[in-house]
Order: sequence, then C-alpha cells, then structure tokens
Amino acid sequence: MQLSDRVTGAVIATVGVAAAWAGSRLPGVPGQDVGPSVFPMIIGGGMLLCGVLIALGVGSSLEVPEDPEETPRPWFHGLRALLPPALLLFYVLTVDRLGFLITAAAVVGVTSLALGARLRLALPLAVLAPLFVHVVFVKLLRVPLPDGLMAAPW
Amino acid sequence: MADLLEAFRLVAQTDVIIAILAASVYGLVVGSLPGLSATMATALLVPITFYLSPIAAIATIIAASAMAIFSGDIPGCLLRIPGTPASAAYTDEAYAMTRKGQAELALGAGLWFSAIGGIVGTLSLVLMAPALAEMALSFSTFEYFWLAFLGLMCATLVARSSPIKAIAAMFIGLLVSCIGMENPAGTPRFTFGITDLLGGIEPIPALVGVFAVSEVMRAMLTAEPPPLPKRRFGSILAGQWKLTKKYQWPMWRGNIVGIIIGVLPGAGADMAAWVSYAMSKRFSKEPEKFGTGHPEGLVEAGASNNASLASGWVPSLLFGIPGDTITAIAIGVLYMKGLNPGPTLFTERASSMYALYLIFIIANIIMIPLGILMIRAASHVLKAPRSSVMPVIVLLCAVGAFATGNNLFSVLLVALFGCLGFVMERNGYPVAAMVLGIVMGSMVETNFITSLIKSDSSVLPFFERPVSAVLAFMTGAALLWPLALLFRKRQPQPA
Repeated sequence: MQLSDRVTGAVIATVGVAAAWAGSRLPGVPGQDVGPSVFPMIIGGGMLLCGVLIALGVGSSLEVPEDPEETPRPWFHGLRALLPPALLLFYVLTVDRLGFLITAAAVVGVTSLALGARLRLALPLAVLAPLFVHVVFVKLLRVPLPDGLMAAPW
Repeated sequence: MADLLEAFRLVAQTDVIIAILAASVYGLVVGSLPGLSATMATALLVPITFYLSPIAAIATIIAASAMAIFSGDIPGCLLRIPGTPASAAYTDEAYAMTRKGQAELALGAGLWFSAIGGIVGTLSLVLMAPALAEMALSFSTFEYFWLAFLGLMCATLVARSSPIKAIAAMFIGLLVSCIGMENPAGTPRFTFGITDLLGGIEPIPALVGVFAVSEVMRAMLTAEPPPLPKRRFGSILAGQWKLTKKYQWPMWRGNIVGIIIGVLPGAGADMAAWVSYAMSKRFSKEPEKFGTGHPEGLVEAGASNNASLASGWVPSLLFGIPGDTITAIAIGVLYMKGLNPGPTLFTERASSMYALYLIFIIANIIMIPLGILMIRAASHVLKAPRSSVMPVIVLLCAVGAFATGNNLFSVLLVALFGCLGFVMERNGYPVAAMVLGIVMGSMVETNFITSLIKSDSSVLPFFERPVSAVLAFMTGAALLWPLALLFRKRQPQPA
C-alpha cells in the first residue's frame, strides 16, 4: 500500500493531535505538577510536528529511492497482502470452537495455496505442520492449545 | 575465579548444550532463507524461551542470532538475495565472486570472518561492560533519561531513510508504550475500555507482527526467488588464512567499527555492515576492484556485522537499553528470567555474566563446523519453496503470540502490528525505530517523570550533573544532525 507522504503525514499529525488532546484530559496526581498526561502530550506534539514536516515533503530528499515496482498489477492484487492478518483473525475467532488442529490446518493450507503451492504440497503440509507445532508447544512446552472438535492423537 | 568455574558449570548443563545446538541449527536455516531475518528468528524463539532455564534461554537467543547473521550471507552469495538485511551491504560483491567461480572463497570469508568478528566482539563485551558498570552505579534518573533518549535518537539517525520519518516512527512506538496502566501514576491510558489493554502492549506480539507477519504479507505480493542451481563445493576454509593475513588491517577496522556501532543504542548489524563496507572501499588501496568480486569489503563488513552483535549486548545488559532490535528482544527475556539488566548484574550475578560470555565464544566457535555443513546443505534448504515455509511462519506467529500469555488477544495484536509494519515499511517509515520506541517507552517516561518530580518540575537539574550534561549534549547533537544533513544536501544543488 503505497501512499503519498501527504497522506501518511496527515495521518500522523491527526493521531498526534488526538493523543495530545486525550492525554491532556487524563486526571492528574493530587499535589504534583507532573502526572500521566505529560508524556502523551509531548509525544502528541512531536507527532504533529513530524506529520506536518512529512506532509510538506521535508527530508524526502534523504530517502533511498524505492525499487521500481514490477509489472503493473490490478488493484485487487494488493489485497492479497491482507490474507495473513485475516487468517490470524480467523484463528482468534475459531480456535476455541474448532480446536487447534483444524484451525491451524486451515491457516496453513490457505497460506500455502495462496503462495502458489499445488494441492500435492499444501495438503500434506496442512496435516503435518499443525501436528508438529502441537507436539512442540503442547507436549514439550505445555502451552494449553484448545482441543475443540478434534483432540490430538496423544 | 569461583564465578568463572560456576559459569562453566552453568553452561555445561545438558539443557544448555542442547539449546545451543538446536538454536544454532534453527538460526542457520532461518537466516539462510531469504526474507526471514535474524530479528524474526529471535522473535519467534521468545515463546520457547519462556519454558527454558535462564541460561538456556539466553543461550538460544545468542546462538540463533549469531548463526542467522552469518547464514544470511549464503543466499546473498549464491542467489544475490540477502538472507538477512545485515548481509545486504555486500551481496553484490559476494555474488560477483561466485560468478568468477570463487563461491567457496566468498562463503568461507563470510563464515571465517563472521566467527572472528563474533569472538572479537565478545572480548569487547568482556572488557567494556564491567568498566562501564562501575561508572553506571553512580547514575541517577537524570542520566538514565538521557541515555534512553539518546538511544532513541541514535535509532533514528542510523535509519537509511528520511530522519523525520524515523522520528515519527519512534513517536508511534512511544505512543504505543503509553497504552495501559504501567505509567508513573497508574492511570489507565488509551485503553478505550478494553480490559486486555490495561496491562499495556507487550513488545513480543508487536515484534512478531512487525518482523514476521509483515514479511509474509510482503511475500504475498512478490515473486518467488529463483531456485538455487545445484553445485558441489570445494574446501570452504582453504585460502582464508591467506585472506586473514593479507587483509589484516581491514579486518581489525571492521571489528572495531562493528563494536562501536553495536554499542550505540539502536544501531545494529545491518548498519555496521553498510558502514564497514563503505569504509573498506574508501580506504582500500584498490577501490576500483570493489564490486567486481573483490574479497576485501567482504572481510571487513563480514567481521563488522558479527562484532556488532556481541557489543550490542553492552548497553542492554548495563542499562536495559537495546543495542539493536535483537537485543531489544533479549532484554525482555532477561527481565522474564530474573536477570534484570543493570550495573549490579555484573556484581551480584557475575557467574551468569561469565556464562553469557562463554556462550558467545562457544557459539562463534561451533559456527565454523556447523556453518560448513550449512553451506554444503544450502542447495537443499534453499530448495524449500516459499509456499511451504511461510505457512509455518504464520502458524508459529499465532501459537507463539498465544504462548506468551495464554491469551488470544496477543494473536490479534500480532495481526494488527503486522498490518502496521507492512504499511510503514512500504512508505519508508523504519519499523526498527518504532520497535525501540515500544521497548523503551516506559523507561524513558518513568525516568523523565521521576526526574521532574525530584526536581520540582525544573528542567535545570537535567543539565547540572556532569555526566547528564555530556549525555544531553550528545542527544542534542543527534537531534540536530538531520538538519545538518538536509542543509548539506541542499547546498550543491542550485547549479
């Protein structure tokens, strides 16, 4: 997601203003001048300043130029990047109900297929990788991964 | 002496030895895979270290990071794709050597001088840390504030992008560190009524998201790197002794520059390699040969990046200020294992410190045989398609983040930070600066607020003590440096 410096600078400045404003409304500590509000206000001020400078293009001459993008792609190609975080979200929402092995198999299989693997590779990987991770984390490290619909064979 | 013997006993435990060996193999494999950096290797290890003994936990981090920095040279040399950012500085050179039929010499130089750099860096850690610890005992919150602030500024200085974007990234990290109740007044800040946020955002999910998830996101958009042509290697170490003698001076310069950059808070192995490679070219007797497959820069930069790795532990152990992103992770592990960083670590837990030095030396020595095996196995390891490696990384991100607190909220954080890291990287905001902001935020704030309370809100005491005045001056210089750079850049342009 390549954005112009104006957009990112404006976002940073806005977040800075919000942080400073929210910080200034934090309750102080009775009998003291400095409290929990000082640090967020300084940060907010700094972000506002940086955001404005970035939006104005100051310092952009020092940046190392990016590698030119390869062949132009349709806009939805960029959405593929959202797949890994979406799968993590899927994991959070379903792991307790479906259990670790099933959820993990889905995450691994989908990522593998999305990266261009054939079913011949993706299927065994989706079966074996969760089992391996389960052994390491549950058996050796005693992390309580949920069983859900399918318990591990051990 | 008793401490040293105790240290040997600590390191000779079976679990520590297994941890070193397993982490070494893991580091070698992850470092050699393009796109998987040494920082990512370390971040994914942290959940595992929860369940290890303190020395074994630190051993895994030291061994894995040292190996990963070396093995990043392998795909750089054979495919012209650096395995870790720390190898990027001399990838073209190494690849040029491979094309000239000197792949063994290039890989051997990477291995041999990495090991030497690691050992020299360790010696600097052994010599420097106790001396500085003596001094650090007299530090008050004023000095600690300046040190932490200086660390943040250095992180923005060395970033290879616009310093203003780097500072903005650092502020984002500091803002993230404000979340929760862990502030001097214990007031919930920026929690938006979410109970999971009351405890603040742990650095580990943030690190895993920024360094691992965003890497998988990038892989979704880029083409698969070409497969490695199968080849047989001759002797890897042949000719290295000759190189050592011939380029003795560049090697030492690389070691020293690496050590200095490592000690600087925030600047790590990748910066050390870039600076050393540039220096090598600048001072070489035959600069025209650079870029055509000339080993001199390889020697200097290869030594430099591994030397910086060990000396990066100096500020981490003494002040809890990370020397680079890898030690930023290590500090968290140190706290978790009851080895809280600070000058007293060297007096009260001397045996643990000796054990740490020993592990560094051992890791750099076994790097040579394991590294040779890895180079020989490289064509098999690098054959693993991305579509089989990346899915496992995604799964490890989820499980690893969950294991840090048996809490699914961390997995959500990993996903969020993955997106944030991805967008930031794409737009030229260095994520390392943000990570340091997250890790050091509460330290900067606590020391700043405590100092202000002590001085009755007066800023004068921040400059009155001699050491804090020097640190303040250095911080000011670091702040003004980008301005000087901008100014210099502008001058010659009007023509």
